[in-house]
Amino acid sequence: MPTVKFSVNGTSHSIDTDPLRRLLDVLREDLKLTGVKEGCGEGECGACSVLKDGVLVNSCMIPMGTCEGSEIITPEGLRETDQGKTIIDAYGESGAVQCGFCTPGMMMATEALLRKNPSPSEDEAREALSGNLCRCTGYDMIIDGVLKAAERGKGLW
Amino acid sequence: MVDSYRPLSLKEALELRAEKGALPFAGGTDLMVRYRYESGAIPEYPKPIMFVNHLDELRPIRRVDHGLSIGAAATMTEVLESDEVPEILKEAVVTIAAPGLRNAATLAGNICNASPAGDSICALYALDAGVKLQSRQGERILPIYQFISGPGKTDLHADELLTEIIVPHNRATTHFFKKVGTRRANALSKLSLSGVARISGDRLDEIRIAIGAVAPTVVRSIELEKRMEGRSISEVAGIAEEILRDYDTLVQPIDDQRSTAEYRKRVAMNLLRHFLLGIVLQQQGA
Amino acid sequence: MNKKISTPIKRVDAGMKTGGSTRYIGDIPFEGMLYGKVVRSSRARAKVKGVHVPVLPEGYYYIDAGDIPEDGKNRIEMIKDDWPVFADREVRFIGETIGLLVGPDRKELNRLRDEVKVEYEELTPVFTIEEAEAVKGGPVHGKDNVYGDYHLKKGDPDAAFAEADRIIEDTVRTGYQEHIYMEPQGVIARVQEDGKLGVFFSGQCPFYVRHAVSATMGVPEEQVEVQQTVTGGAFGGKEHYPDVISTPLAVAAGKIGKPIGLFFDRIEDISFTPKRHPSTTHFRTALDKEGNIIAMDIDVRLNAGAYESCSLVVLQRAIFSVNSVYNIPNVKIRGRAFATNNVPSDAYRGFGAPQGLFAMETHMSHVARAIGAEELELKGRYLLKQGDVTVTNGRIHEEVKLPEMIRRIEEMSGYRRKVKEYTPGSWKGIGLSLFNHGSGFTGNGEQEIIKGVVKMRKRADGIVDLLVSNVEMGQGLQTTFRKIAAMVLEIPVDSVVYNDPNTGLVPDSGPTCASRSIAIVGYLVQEAAKKLKKRWDESDVVEVSHQYETPEGLIPWDQNNLQGDAYPSYGWGVNVVEVEVDPLTYEVTTKGIWAVHDVGVAIDEKIVEGQVDGGIIQALGYGSLEKLEVKDGRFQQKTMADYTIPTSMDFPRIKSSLVDNPYEYGPFGAKGAGELVFDGAAAAFADAVQMAVDGDIKQIPVTPEYIMEVRENAHS
Repeated sequence: MPTVKFSVNGTSHSIDTDPLRRLLDVLREDLKLTGVKEGCGEGECGACSVLKDGVLVNSCMIPMGTCEGSEIITPEGLRETDQGKTIIDAYGESGAVQCGFCTPGMMMATEALLRKNPSPSEDEAREALSGNLCRCTGYDMIIDGVLKAAERGKGLW
Repeated sequence: MVDSYRPLSLKEALELRAEKGALPFAGGTDLMVRYRYESGAIPEYPKPIMFVNHLDELRPIRRVDHGLSIGAAATMTEVLESDEVPEILKEAVVTIAAPGLRNAATLAGNICNASPAGDSICALYALDAGVKLQSRQGERILPIYQFISGPGKTDLHADELLTEIIVPHNRATTHFFKKVGTRRANALSKLSLSGVARISGDRLDEIRIAIGAVAPTVVRSIELEKRMEGRSISEVAGIAEEILRDYDTLVQPIDDQRSTAEYRKRVAMNLLRHFLLGIVLQQQGA
Repeated sequence: MNKKISTPIKRVDAGMKTGGSTRYIGDIPFEGMLYGKVVRSSRARAKVKGVHVPVLPEGYYYIDAGDIPEDGKNRIEMIKDDWPVFADREVRFIGETIGLLVGPDRKELNRLRDEVKVEYEELTPVFTIEEAEAVKGGPVHGKDNVYGDYHLKKGDPDAAFAEADRIIEDTVRTGYQEHIYMEPQGVIARVQEDGKLGVFFSGQCPFYVRHAVSATMGVPEEQVEVQQTVTGGAFGGKEHYPDVISTPLAVAAGKIGKPIGLFFDRIEDISFTPKRHPSTTHFRTALDKEGNIIAMDIDVRLNAGAYESCSLVVLQRAIFSVNSVYNIPNVKIRGRAFATNNVPSDAYRGFGAPQGLFAMETHMSHVARAIGAEELELKGRYLLKQGDVTVTNGRIHEEVKLPEMIRRIEEMSGYRRKVKEYTPGSWKGIGLSLFNHGSGFTGNGEQEIIKGVVKMRKRADGIVDLLVSNVEMGQGLQTTFRKIAAMVLEIPVDSVVYNDPNTGLVPDSGPTCASRSIAIVGYLVQEAAKKLKKRWDESDVVEVSHQYETPEGLIPWDQNNLQGDAYPSYGWGVNVVEVEVDPLTYEVTTKGIWAVHDVGVAIDEKIVEGQVDGGIIQALGYGSLEKLEVKDGRFQQKTMADYTIPTSMDFPRIKSSLVDNPYEYGPFGAKGAGELVFDGAAAAFADAVQMAVDGDIKQIPVTPEYIMEVRENAHS
């Protein structure tokens, strides 16, 4: 089996794996990072979202063969940072969390957005999260959370 | 376990393509769905896989002599963020999937997948785009409408890689793109229409119209376009109904799980009429 | 009435969920766990002549009906026990469980599953309500494919019809809907060290699972311990279905002796799990010379699919809801649930009420259009008031605040002004719906069947354990139950412990459904807390319990004749939706959404508002985007790409507010909310589109394809 060298949340890993194995499965099964979820396995729901080399991707659609040398950030990594904590607090105050299954993915999408656009409008926030599906909240309070994180976290992004 | 390769240069990739018949895998957003196996079991690909998205030679979006070259591994997000890319192509690409998928997906992949519902393909037809196909032997450039011959069917030879998409300089004075999707975002296309036109004074110099998802390939009729080009706006207005009737016979959609033939037909013709009569013919004296 | 209870607090589980620390069933590491893969029927209706299982590698097993213990039974004991654990000699729907493959490698299981060969003798399947009524191919169920046939009568409809000046006939249809909880189905079963069968599941009703598993395995209920795991959405889709998958899994775990996990793939989940009942409702409405409605004759037909499950309870709620918020003097209602060879229809937020309410609201808008009356004026003539008689000859015991709610939504949305301004057919429209939802189990379920019990225990350190079987599934119960207990006991919310229920540790306070958790069980929590407060200083450790008692003043329920008070209290709602329709593409852009609800008192305003937002968006999906077609017994939309639920970009912000109307037997005055907030939006949307295209909308989902048809037919 080929070896793929990549880093996850700042830690280097060297994994012998079939290059066609999904990043989602390596994260969840090999590295026990279960913050990423499998909601659909077809890149539609965003519950598996991670940052790969700084951009938002669906880890269920990423084979390990494209991860050589990549830096991956998962919810476990983001939540330890000031940015992650700001988003978590903002979400908590905004009522953005109901069943919680989509929420780590929403947090990753929020981080990806604020890195590019630290003061998004409501429409920009909605577009940035348009690949993350939620069935519980109807989205309004999640968008509130994004805008509140942007407001609170001035200077962080 | 299917073999997979990670060539370190385009040259190596072309060798692997010729020798192993390896399937090029850039963003993989179509391949990962098509060959998906339940519950994370590793998928069964019919051929060895060759990852190409990291190849420097395939990434750039840059000006070339007659237009713009978009590398096969440039992601859709990179296409959206480039200043060089024509507006109509951006309008099409931004309707594809969602941000996370656009960060991985490529135009090359969209083209090689050759779905009649491919939104970027529709816009590329209207832009008269071409594809550069390279092999160990050399290279050739084909207009996109010659490259794609049917749903899932392209003229890509077994030893070739699509390495660039060439978009000629776009001198349009007006353009229109509309995708009718299954919802407002993250949506598959029911149909799409791309139109570009160049009007100088009262003359229609150039017009190109492409309609997606209403036939086995994107519908574009150079013959119908030529009938309109070079005429004055009022002359075009005079033959507009007859042109629309002729387009009508080319629009032959089907029923499927996303929409109906009847809807696709009527809406395609509505959008076409809107582009021709509502936009182009209103551009008097532009 | 205590306003403090309504003040929002941060949800107790929000931080862990956002950061990804919360473990759902797929995240729990289980030493030595095997995987299960269901072997399913590929025929909608057939006799099974034989099943040929390939030679299995070491460590792989095939489990079927033959493995059910002697003392057990091949029936899933739910509300009805007609659904077999394993299909044995016949199959009734595509996807029905024939067997279960178990083993360590999921890819190998997929391969083995594809190699199992089933010999079928095909029979003629029946898929539509019409085909079922015609008993095509012989009955699937009973003699006539009718699971249940109910009749209600209020007043003297026959006499009123005889006097009618005009009769308007109308048919309204609603389609299938899939739950799309973001977390697919998951169950783990194992034999515990103490010999009991342990089941972990994502879902709503731990005691339902315990009951079904113990009956299938032929063991006393105490021999089965069921633990709910954090549930990533349910909406009714995890109310009974976990019984369907935990029973075969328990058989397998019992036989093999190792823990086994069954986790559904999304395509599998969409294709084969139960859906909302499609409905066809036919109206005959009698009007007098002045254009007043004097009688209605309503016929409700539901497509219940291959097994009955809870269809008769859904049917009951559908017929009790189909007269909506109106006091029509003479009404006769018939309701039937039909057996077909489709995936069984089952619980889904609203449980028959969305179908009945959509039908009635839409029909009233058609009547208004037909007689040239202004819709709200027509509806306003018949609004229920306190003391009025319901269609089951019960009463509305509470004050009905609809007039105030209508005035408020008017201010918020400009409804009346826009109705005057917008010319029908000019591609802009505004629609309104009125609706209500009975809190709690239909009929006498609470007192005769559930008899819910809540326990509360004070520990020596002053921490209080709240022991209930209701679950948090996103609706905020972890927070709201603690608030109720803490506020009565006057202790911090953090001092109340409420763990995800385990049947070995908690009493049965009933299932998490029917909008009963706050309305019914919350009251038990309040009363238990009051008891505990009185006895607080009695000793270091004090335990109290409180059981459900029928509230005073209700008209007793007669289940045989469906007469009396079907529900102790009602939630009420008004929705307004404004749209613009694109004349070229018939696509709808929603321009505004407004809602006013009466849920008694909000146990937490933000949590209620979150339910309003989520319920309305899910209902707008039901009303406009979520097309689920069946062809030859198979769903045509089976991926998340093709079954389109709303994204963040599909609808604008919702503006909502609540009115106060405390209910004596609700905790702090609260009534049920979870389903009420779903019930109205589809009808308001359809009503708005009707105005925009000036044509009657008679079915949902209102897709652009259907709008085109309506518009072209109305204007040809």
